[in-house]
Amino acid sequence: MSSAKPTGAASGAPVIGPGHSLASVTDQISKIVLSRQTPTGWFIGLGVAMLGVGVLITAIGWLLWWGLGVWGINQPVGWGFAIINFVWWIGIGHAGTLISAILLLLKQEWRTSINRFAEAMTLFAVMCAGVFPLLHVGRPWLAYWLLPYPNTMGMWPQFRSPLLWDVFAVSTYATVSALFWYVGLIPDLATLRDRAKSLVWKRIYGALALGWRGAARHWERYETAYGLLAGLATPLVVSVHTVVSFDFAVSVIPGWHATIMPPYFVAGAIFSGFAMVLTLAIPIRRIFGLEDFITMKHLDNMAKVILATGMIVCYGYAMEAFFAWYSGSPYERYMIVNRMLGPYGWSYWALITCNLLVPQLLWSSAVRRNIAALFAIAIVVNVGMWLERFVIVVTSLHRDYLPSSWGMYYPTVWDWALYIGTIGLFFFLLFLFIRFLPMISIFEMRTLVPATGEEPPKKGLHIAASAGPSGEARRP
Amino acid sequence: MNTPVAIDFGQRLERWRNVAFVVGALGLAASGYAWFSDRTEFTRMWLIAFLYWLAIPLGSLALSMLHYLTGGGWGLAIQRWMQAAMRTLPLLALFFVPIALGMHELYEWTHADVVAKDELLQFKAPYLNSTGFLVRAGVFFAVWIGLAALLGAGAKRFDAGGGEGALVRLRTISGPGLVLYFLAMTFAAIDWAMSIEPHWFSTIYGVVFIIGQGLATLAFTILLSSQAADSAPLKGRLLPVHVHDLGKLMFAFVLLWAYVNYSQFVIIWSANLAEETPWYLKRMHGAWGAVAITLIALHFALPFLVLLSKTVKRNTKLLGGIAAFMLLMRLVDLVWYIGPAFGHGTHAPMHVHWSLATSFVGIGGIWFGVFATQLKNRPLTSLPEPDPHAMAAAHH
Repeated sequence: MSSAKPTGAASGAPVIGPGHSLASVTDQISKIVLSRQTPTGWFIGLGVAMLGVGVLITAIGWLLWWGLGVWGINQPVGWGFAIINFVWWIGIGHAGTLISAILLLLKQEWRTSINRFAEAMTLFAVMCAGVFPLLHVGRPWLAYWLLPYPNTMGMWPQFRSPLLWDVFAVSTYATVSALFWYVGLIPDLATLRDRAKSLVWKRIYGALALGWRGAARHWERYETAYGLLAGLATPLVVSVHTVVSFDFAVSVIPGWHATIMPPYFVAGAIFSGFAMVLTLAIPIRRIFGLEDFITMKHLDNMAKVILATGMIVCYGYAMEAFFAWYSGSPYERYMIVNRMLGPYGWSYWALITCNLLVPQLLWSSAVRRNIAALFAIAIVVNVGMWLERFVIVVTSLHRDYLPSSWGMYYPTVWDWALYIGTIGLFFFLLFLFIRFLPMISIFEMRTLVPATGEEPPKKGLHIAASAGPSGEARRP
Repeated sequence: MNTPVAIDFGQRLERWRNVAFVVGALGLAASGYAWFSDRTEFTRMWLIAFLYWLAIPLGSLALSMLHYLTGGGWGLAIQRWMQAAMRTLPLLALFFVPIALGMHELYEWTHADVVAKDELLQFKAPYLNSTGFLVRAGVFFAVWIGLAALLGAGAKRFDAGGGEGALVRLRTISGPGLVLYFLAMTFAAIDWAMSIEPHWFSTIYGVVFIIGQGLATLAFTILLSSQAADSAPLKGRLLPVHVHDLGKLMFAFVLLWAYVNYSQFVIIWSANLAEETPWYLKRMHGAWGAVAITLIALHFALPFLVLLSKTVKRNTKLLGGIAAFMLLMRLVDLVWYIGPAFGHGTHAPMHVHWSLATSFVGIGGIWFGVFATQLKNRPLTSLPEPDPHAMAAAHH
């Protein structure tokens, strides 16, 4: 193949706009944070998101006052919105780690401008996800019983239950994601410290920067730490969603018990996560004028990842349907017939439309270059992946082996309120993040500046950039 | 090795090819004896050997398409090996003939009397029947050979100076091509291997085979690269960075192999359903159980621990040794997957016929001979001429 282009099949569009110098990159990204003039759009967005947080607090308050009866769950559908939304949020979070860690290990330079806010998205999504199982335990103040610790009651958690594995997997994942995000921020926090005008912000950013001076030894340790965290985060992405898939797959419920579940859940997580990154990146680059940093190449590559992971997810659907028949089991067969033609049949076909049919448009490069179309497809995929979890959870539970115990599931207003509330929380945190922290990694973007051909690397000035991550040196 | 005249890998390849043809012919002759003396045992062992050697051309097809779509220096390093392997697919179609002829020895669903007594097999008959099996096999090979031909033509155009246009075309083939490969290989795995135990099913089965093919291909190409590294034309072109990337990929596939197998095991073990557990019960008892433990230790734990080290991944010779070991482990894994299927009951003693060895060597020898011939027809590497600056960068 081409020897001229050893990396990155998607050639053509650049990963950074033309005409940038080291200084202009720093200026343009840091001014979003340091500027005293906040765009009006930001206030409107934050206000709407705060309304959502209000809804969340109300929904939690109501739930704690009355108990789980305010939700629509009952026998036979004992897992309703809580688990659907938990899986949905966790899945969204995975794109952040994938972009940050896996694309870093694969030396995909185009990740650089989107990794920071994708990581922030991971953290916020994991927080939103955590709300649901905590509340679903019924008495969240006793949630520490989930942890194995010697106690006077002589009670231990069930170690064979993947729900307990979830506790470990998700809490480890949240910890490593937070560390990864924070370590990646340190050099930029120092930049903000140096550029902030007010003493208060100087102090705040200064404390967070942990005394970073950009010394060669700092960079060396930074590279090691960042590489190690990337190596740690990578298996965690896979393990978290694998354990989530085990929640279903280790049972004997037709529609849940399938060996394809782990890889298909992991692919689905990446699929939905990239869709969310696109959903956020497209308006953000427009509002803050970041088209030079989040370029068409980024959008194009993300669209391709969505297409690829979407195809894996559809492979999972195909295997489920084929083996429902091939197994010869009447329960398996009924499960798929009920999914397609039962009372929740609409959700299955909506899911197929959202996750199988619509993403096929992304084969066309014209669609991938059309920002409006990309945005619309990203929203459709977000909806589709929510529907997927709805289909898996509800249609499998509501009619299983015994027709006498069949039933329907109807979410209540409080189910919806809690769900909408977490979306509010997610955007609330995201708006705070883009205002107070650099949403694009300044120092990593500076390493891309030589690619613009505007500023030949100079001695001295080059140190900050070249000592930064430049592929080879950073791999563990 | 300090001779100023570089040894030419092509000459060495020619020597290997001649040996391979002789060894292969001897192996096939011995297997031919087995065909007459014990048709059942011959066909069963042939199936395992066939699936083993099929993995490298098919894995090459899939990894080539993946490389066209994602790029990366690792692909350039092994591109010529993969292209030559892809061109051997018609030979594998030929080696499929004994399986088509021996269906009756392999698959109980071809026995009318068994099906007549088995409601489940009657239910599955619209899929599991001899005509469908042969037609599907024809379709699978048509898809694979067709894709290999398209990619081969595209690569040839690129070599002739087709430039960006030829690359775009290769990518256009690769996207849908990967989808087709996935589907064809999944159903091939169901037809050829899973249906030996026609009551059993597992939705991840196709993926397990696909991962195995990727791993086998990486191991084979790494081994070949390590053998070619110190002779022309690879000397000076195959850089530590390429070897490192290939090592990382092999590491990733070792993990993927463990991941899909562990997932399948834990899901079936945990649910403990009578339809599913016999597959593992057969493979966890007696000598087969010892093989299972061996696989965990040597197909996963050992390569996992060794390949964690960056030094190992950048050492061409050492990585080549690990790759050779992984190729052996691939055989053990396939024997463990398919061998116990022929035993009766869940505690059948381990049984492997001697013709496994002769069929393995027979198919492998002829295959390698044809592969080497194909390899010599084109330039031996796509890697660019050594560039002193790049060398310095890669060694830093």
